[in-house]
Order: sequence, then C-alpha cells, then structure tokens
Amino acid sequence: MSDLKTLFDSIFTASASLATAPILALGVGLLLLLLCDIVTPLRPARGLAFVGTLVVAAILQARVLFANSAPGLVLDGTFLADPTTALFGLSFLVGSLLAWLYASGYYDEERVLATEHDVLFLAAPAGMILMVGAADLLVFFVGLELLSLPLYALAAFRRSRADSVEAGLKYFLLGAFSSAMFLFGSALLYTAAGSLSLSAIAEHGLASRTALAGIALVTSGVFFKASIFPFHMWVPDVYQGSPTPVTALMATGTKAAIFGFLVVQLMPLLPPSAAPMIAVLAIVTMFLGNFGALVQSNVKRMLAYSGVAHAGTLLLVVPGFLAGADPAAASRAALFYLVAYLFTGTGAFGLLALLEADGERFTSLDSLKGLAKRRPAIAAAMTLFLLSLGGIPATGGFLGKWFVFSVLVEAGWTGTAILGVLFSVVALGYYLRVIVAMYMEEALEGEAAPTTNRTGATAATAVCVVGVLATGLLPALLLGPLGS
Amino acid sequence: MAELLFYLLSLGAIGFGIGVIRTHMPLYSVLSLLGTFFCLAGIYLLAGFPFLAATQLLVYAGAIMVLFLFVIMLLNLGDRDELNRQTGVALSGPRLAAAGICAGLLGLAGLIAAGWGGKVTPTEAVAAGGVDRLNDIAEVLFGRYMLPFEAASLLLLATMVGVMSLAKRQRGEETEAGDTGWPWHKGVEQ
Repeated sequence: MSDLKTLFDSIFTASASLATAPILALGVGLLLLLLCDIVTPLRPARGLAFVGTLVVAAILQARVLFANSAPGLVLDGTFLADPTTALFGLSFLVGSLLAWLYASGYYDEERVLATEHDVLFLAAPAGMILMVGAADLLVFFVGLELLSLPLYALAAFRRSRADSVEAGLKYFLLGAFSSAMFLFGSALLYTAAGSLSLSAIAEHGLASRTALAGIALVTSGVFFKASIFPFHMWVPDVYQGSPTPVTALMATGTKAAIFGFLVVQLMPLLPPSAAPMIAVLAIVTMFLGNFGALVQSNVKRMLAYSGVAHAGTLLLVVPGFLAGADPAAASRAALFYLVAYLFTGTGAFGLLALLEADGERFTSLDSLKGLAKRRPAIAAAMTLFLLSLGGIPATGGFLGKWFVFSVLVEAGWTGTAILGVLFSVVALGYYLRVIVAMYMEEALEGEAAPTTNRTGATAATAVCVVGVLATGLLPALLLGPLGS
Repeated sequence: MAELLFYLLSLGAIGFGIGVIRTHMPLYSVLSLLGTFFCLAGIYLLAGFPFLAATQLLVYAGAIMVLFLFVIMLLNLGDRDELNRQTGVALSGPRLAAAGICAGLLGLAGLIAAGWGGKVTPTEAVAAGGVDRLNDIAEVLFGRYMLPFEAASLLLLATMVGVMSLAKRQRGEETEAGDTGWPWHKGVEQ
C-alpha cells in the first residue's frame, strides 16, 4: 500500500490543486445551482449562485496567473497550468458571464427552464478550461465534450422555433462526426506512440505513417470545431438558428478554447512540412468567410460568416510558427486576437440579441436602417464592435490582426500576410454596409422601433466597449502577465 | 487462432453495425446493437482485458440495452410503416455515395495505419503495458486520469440537464388532459 501512497502523493500535489481549482469551483457551483432550484426558498438566489461561481472561479484562475511559480504540468503530466492557459481560462469565464448577461431577459417563453440554462452555461467554461490545459488527448476529449454537449442543448433551447431545433440537431450531428474523427486519430496516435500524452507523442515523433494519419485526423477534428475549410459548412446555419446569446458564446468561447488548444498544445506536434497546406486552408477559409458575408442580408448570418473569416485569419499563426517564427510570439498573438475577438464578437452578437428580444426579429439589415436616430447608444456601440471586427486602428481587433500578420512576416511569409490584409479590406465592405444602414439610411416604413432596455445587457455592452478599447489602446495590460 | 478470432469478431461487429442502421424494425436495430457489443467484448477479452469485457457486457449489453427496449416499447415503435413515415429512412444514390466515401476514407486511413505502421497484435499490446487487474485500472483511473475521470461525471450531469431541457414540456405548450409534461406520455392510454 505504501507504494500506492507515494504514487498518489506524487500526483496530487499542492500545485495540482492550484491548477485544477477553477474547474472544481465550476463543478461545485453547478451543483449549488441545481440545489437552489430544488429548494424553493433558495430560488431567488440562483442568479447570485451563477455569478458568484464565475467570480470565485475567476479568482482561483487569477491565482494561477499571479502565482510566484506557475504550476506547469500537473497530475502526472496530463494538465498544464501556466500564465497563458490561465489568461485563456479567465477569458472563458468573462465570456460566459457576458453571454449570460445578454441572455437574461432574452427568452420570453422559456423562463421555466432558467436553471437548466444557467447550469449549461456553467458547464461550458469548465470544458473550455480543460481543453486549453489538456496535455493529454483524453483530457482534451472530455473537455471538448463537456463544452459541446451543453452547447448542443443550448442551440436548440428555443424549441418552439424550427430554426433553433435545426441548429441544435445540425450542430450535434456534425459535432459527433468531428468527435469520431478526433477519437479515431487519437487511437492511431496511441497505437504509434503507446501513450495519449502529447509529450510522449512528440517524443515518438511522426516518423511512422500511423502517427501521421493519427495527427491528421486529430487536427481535422480540431479544425471542424474551429470552422476551418472544408469543415465550415455548418457554421452559418448553426449560428443563425441558435439563440443569439448562445451564438455569442459559441462564436467567441468555443473558438478561443479550440484555438487555445491548437496553439498551446497541438501546434508544436505538427510537422513543419504541413505549413503550406495549413496556410492554404487558412486563406481559403478567409476567402469563403469574407465573400460569404458580403452577400448576406441578415446581420446575424453575416456575423457568422465573419466568424469563419476570423478563424481563417487566426489560423495563419500556425504556418507562421511552423515556418520558424518565435513560439512565444505566436501564442501571444493568438491569445491577444482571441481576447479582442471575445469582447468584439460577444458585444456584436449581444447587441443583436438585445434588439431581437423585443419581440420582433431585428436581425435583418433592413430593420437596422436608421437605428442611430432611434437608439443612438446601441448604434454607437455596434459601430465600435464592427470597426474592431474590421480591424480599424485603436480597437483590439486591429492589434490582434497586427500581431498575427507580424508573426507571418517574421517567418518570412510576407506574401501570405499581404493576402490576409487584402481580405481584411474586403471584410470592411460588409461591416461598413451595416454602419451605413444604421447612420445614413432612413428607417423603412412600418418597421417597429426596437425599444428594449435591459440592465444586464447594458452592463455587458459597457464591459465589451471598455474591453475593445482597452485591448486596442493599452495592450500591455493583457500582455504584461505573459512577460513579453 | 487468436488472430482468426479477432478478424471474425471484427467482421461480426461491423456486420451488426450495418444491421443497426439498415433494418426498418427498431427492435432488430437494438438486437443488432447488442450483437456489436458482444463482439466488442470478445475483442477486449482477446486483447487481455477481461475486466473491461465484463463491464462492457454488464453495462452496455445489460443495463443500456434494457433501457433501449423499454423506450421502444413505451413509444410503441414496433410498427414498420409508422417509423418509415416518421424518419423516411431509405437508401438513395447520394446517401449511398456519401456513406461510401466516408467509409472509404476511414478504411484508407486504417489501411495506411495497419499496413505501413507496423501491426500491433493483442499479445504485444498486453506486453506493452496492458492492464487486466482491477487494481491497475483503479490506479490509473484515480491517479493519472483523475481529472478526466471526475470531469466525465460533470459531463454526464451536464448532459442530463441538457436532455431534460430539450425533452421536458414547458408551461404554455399545449397540454392535454392526463399529460405529465414528458413527451413519451403523450398518447399513452391513461
């Protein structure tokens, strides 16, 4: 028995508990939330339990960030906790809080299931934190499912609407397909390396074809979730059909978690010869996303295509890294891009949710015409988000793109970087169209003016505006803890 | 001998798997699934994992299958025409092509892996650190893989809540007399 004790002592160390505390807090909070629903006197405390859980988890996550020595690889090398993953974790918690704020008051008929909704909103960030820290394919897979399954249910949450159910079903079926691909790849990697741990797989190398086929399937599974060509087809339908606050979480949180894993853990495993292929995939993704967005008349669907384009832009970090750019710079660029996109994307989708919840569907371009006269504050905030999505200086979106393209230039891929910048110019075309509609066009006859005003959404918008400006003007705030 | 058994069981698993999606009778589907589970349990046994094989039989072939059968009987899905009307399962050209391409790609990946990557026979897998003692499994589950193991329980809970939110009928939706709010009670004689 004593050898078992030494084994466990070596696994469950103080740094292991420090590293996993945020996930534990989310789990406990989730149970508390369920308890609040059962015990009638505790029912009014549900919102408090939700926000409190996220705050506690964020404090625990911040402890990892500011610890004197980061825990590093813990639990026998299955979970990584360092400043980068801690910053990712914090952004997930902030992201789900913002999306939740936008969701409060969004649903009218589904109020009965408020607790279920909140529980699923707590489970998703736990999965995201697991994914980014995963140094073992098994940990990543459990994290991925812990994120995806709640999102499948949330996508179909407005069951009275056919498009919502369709979104949930599509997301579920394609998600299951990508999970199967990922699992098949993991099995092949296990056959080759004899371990699921990423460090063991890296040590074994990709010399054998088994390992090569395995890493290709694993990467395909990851690209599926990250909506990279040719696995991007599901995005517009799913993003458009899902309830808008859920879309906000999907577009920003899921993307951040997947790219976090890709950049922090998976990227070093890829063979350098894959760089041109991944660059081509990224460029094609940007092309399809941007030109798909150009022809949309529904703003929500347009933002979905824009999300695809952003995934393509961000993916350019990977070939840059593989071609020899500084690894720290590459992961910093990805982190910055994702945090900036978190505030921008959540804000943009959230404002649509705010307008939409008014009973009418304020997601078409026509209904946004003349919005500046009717709701100047919303129009102004929306303009800021759209400019940041388009990459205009003084916003976080600009600096994010700047960092990504500078990684490419550093690696000597200037031509690809220029191509990427050109696509950003195309993107401005459809972002500006919305701004023009809001400010320079008259409202259509017969369109009811949106009147919604909700405290939660207003607060969330304020946070997003501050976030976009802060990442744009004071990037050192975010990059400081990483020790650049 | 072991290799022959392995291929037989694999063929059986694939055959039953096709049976699950090819038959029009839900009951046959479930029974085919049962066959797949049995074949998989046999493969685990061959690979030197008796505990895993037993668990597979107990949990999947036992508990979960009974659940499936219950649902089928509660929903009264025995009628073939009824199911066809609901799901319209039919093999059309495009569907067949799509399935063929998928299966072909997966098979190709498997062939590449098996043909050029060096074969791993069940005996080698055991020698390379296979676990077949309960203690070993516990050590791995509660040691190295503590985090995913515990996270899986969170995952199951979240999934349960998600399924509830999708399946439960809400206030405001049309309810009939004697309706308990759960979809499978609709239309059942009270």
